[in-house]
Amino acid sequence: MAAWEALAARRDTLRARKNALLTGAFGAVGLATVLLVFALVAIIAVNGAPTISWEFLTQPPREGMSAGGVGPMIFGSILLMLGAFVMATPLGVFGGVCLAEYGERSRLMRLMHASVAALAGTPPIVYGLFGLAIFVLKFHFGVSLLAGWCTLTLFCVPAIVLTTEAALKTVPAALIDGGLALGLSRWQTLWRIALPYALPGILTGVILSLGRAVGEATPVLFTASVYYSTAETKLGWETLRQPVANLPYYLAEGYRQPGVVPERFIWGACLTLIMLTLLLNAGAILIRSRMRRRYLW
Amino acid sequence: MWRIRLFDNLVQAATWLAGALLLLTIVAVFYYLFAESQYAFQRKFPFGFRVALQPPDSEYREEISMDPTASLLATHQEGTDELDDAEDATRLPAHDELMQMQSLVTATAQTDDPAQLRTDALFRDCMRAPKRAEQGERLLLLAFALPNYTGDRMVLAWEPDVSFDPAYCPYELRLRLLRASKGVSIDPIEIDLRRQPKGRLELPIWKARSQDEWLQGYLFELEARPTTTTPWATLQQFLKADWAPTILYPRFGMLPLMLATLLITLLAVGLATPLGLAAAVYLSEQASPRIREWFKPILEVLAAIPTVVLGYFGVMLIAPALQQVFGEALQLSSGRGLLATALMMTVFILPTIISLSEDALRAVPNSLREGAEALGLTLAERVRLVLLPAAKSGLIAAGLLAIARVMGETMIVWILSGGTPTMPDFGSPTAALGTLVKPTRGIPDTIAIEMGNVEFESSHYGHLFLLGLTLFVLTLGINLLGFAYRKRAQVSL
Repeated sequence: MAAWEALAARRDTLRARKNALLTGAFGAVGLATVLLVFALVAIIAVNGAPTISWEFLTQPPREGMSAGGVGPMIFGSILLMLGAFVMATPLGVFGGVCLAEYGERSRLMRLMHASVAALAGTPPIVYGLFGLAIFVLKFHFGVSLLAGWCTLTLFCVPAIVLTTEAALKTVPAALIDGGLALGLSRWQTLWRIALPYALPGILTGVILSLGRAVGEATPVLFTASVYYSTAETKLGWETLRQPVANLPYYLAEGYRQPGVVPERFIWGACLTLIMLTLLLNAGAILIRSRMRRRYLW
Repeated sequence: MWRIRLFDNLVQAATWLAGALLLLTIVAVFYYLFAESQYAFQRKFPFGFRVALQPPDSEYREEISMDPTASLLATHQEGTDELDDAEDATRLPAHDELMQMQSLVTATAQTDDPAQLRTDALFRDCMRAPKRAEQGERLLLLAFALPNYTGDRMVLAWEPDVSFDPAYCPYELRLRLLRASKGVSIDPIEIDLRRQPKGRLELPIWKARSQDEWLQGYLFELEARPTTTTPWATLQQFLKADWAPTILYPRFGMLPLMLATLLITLLAVGLATPLGLAAAVYLSEQASPRIREWFKPILEVLAAIPTVVLGYFGVMLIAPALQQVFGEALQLSSGRGLLATALMMTVFILPTIISLSEDALRAVPNSLREGAEALGLTLAERVRLVLLPAAKSGLIAAGLLAIARVMGETMIVWILSGGTPTMPDFGSPTAALGTLVKPTRGIPDTIAIEMGNVEFESSHYGHLFLLGLTLFVLTLGINLLGFAYRKRAQVSL
């Protein structure tokens, strides 16, 4: 009896030790991840901060890109993002509504759900190729802002659809039933009750996917990008048919052609790009926390 | 009432429209990638062959074909100008006509200096502007003598450009005499350029009338007919281990690119999965709600760092470190390569894996947790025996999604891979280490790099789309599998 108890006690100590070791490891990995994020952001901030100035953020590059700033690139990135936002949001939201409303009802809808999920995981380079084949060449948009918008839209939509669908699924059935009981039609219920309730989730999804789009060089690589842009960007109808400079492409090419763009400029552009995406993320978080409160009961 | 109905119909129409567009998108992506990769099968390679007409006593030298002081053979492309077959049969084109032909890029004025004529002047090559031979295309080569040439024999000399390899040439190339000018009696000439890539042939002299109206002479035809046109042959080539998209006789074997992409994916996901899983377990089982609330946005920050920046980061930090460690032993010029790429990919994919695995773990019902705890299992045991098996489908889905994303990620590989297609070699420890740290190149970055300076609708262009299609089909399969697992996770829990 005593031998058995001793064995059991030893086994339990071993178990406890193993447990402590493993749980400690889990926590350490979690902590390491956080540290990694801070380290990455800190290194970029430290290296990039000295470059950031009003001139850097607003002026076009001068003297063969070795001086001046990245104004047109920032402007182009924002322009690309805004166009994609305008086009992708309705498409994505209505697509999500379609999935949520008709859900698993028919084989066609199941197929659609699967294909949206597959599209969401499709590599950006594939979208770039598709945009080149269809928008640039087939539709004769040329390498232009317009083609870039269309490609970025396709790139953003699947993620927006999926988040919209997920957000609509969180709407309590009681709210929907209440709407229907009050005599609202199905689509009025959707428009006046379900969508407003799901809005924070949808907006978060939209903003996050836009953040991804603004940092992603690949979809616009063949469809909208131009590296060297010294001209003052004037807005007009012709802008639609012209290629635009943008930050990710500037970074990619700046790296590829070493010595053209000074290193501090690249760090500065890195920091600017990160600030842009982080601003979007912060906006998403803000919206999420602000709008949730209205619907607590 | 009608307003409500109108509104209803509008919303419904928009919904259906969006749904239809989404379904259309995936079909269109597939269709257009497929359609554009057709160009890969058309084998529109340019070929370089020099054909010269020269005095018999001059040796054919490579330099003379680069000398543009005079022209004897002119080329024009079938169907690209107003000269059709019927016309070719009846007369030789006049000088002005020839000059106006677009394809006659390198035609230059004839010289009046007899000394120059006697040596190197009487030639024309199609190397200077390599002509693009498409399926069944004919190049017409017009040969003529200058009025002040005094000899009575001429030599037709031909030679392929340096990289010509008869075994690799996708065409049957024939040089044949179509027509001679009046008064010259000559036997029919037909030369198989693949059997006899280099040679000389004596011809009787012909004369041109004057400088303005040059033309009496020979009309030769260089016919290129594809020998291996089956898609199967192209695909077989596509699966070989040799990627060298040169202008002449390119080789499109994508095996090294594919293997590099697979290796990078394997390494990155293999590294990131245990780490991500550990962090996810910590988040869902150990961390307090407060910590979790802080952790999520931090993770989102990591996920929001653009891949270009991550790639640049790898170049500035990881690559130099690798070079310091292995540089001397392996003679590395930089630390860029498979390992550096895979490490940065790990950082890239970590937030995705963590948040997806955490979702999967948190979807496990609490009753299971509590039951396991009531049985006296420690946390580690609960995780291993209860949580992981229960969340299996969701975790597999997360892993598959991560694989698909790493496979297709472009900028990190572009910046960090080093850009040289290499076959992985695990024959010996040194070779294996070399494979890991030496430059390599994957599928997505190859598309990104080479699409920038490719000629549209060429074979190269088609092959890049074929690469894209391969990538798309691969990730599509993985994504659909992941989708199925996610569905299963939702159903089973």
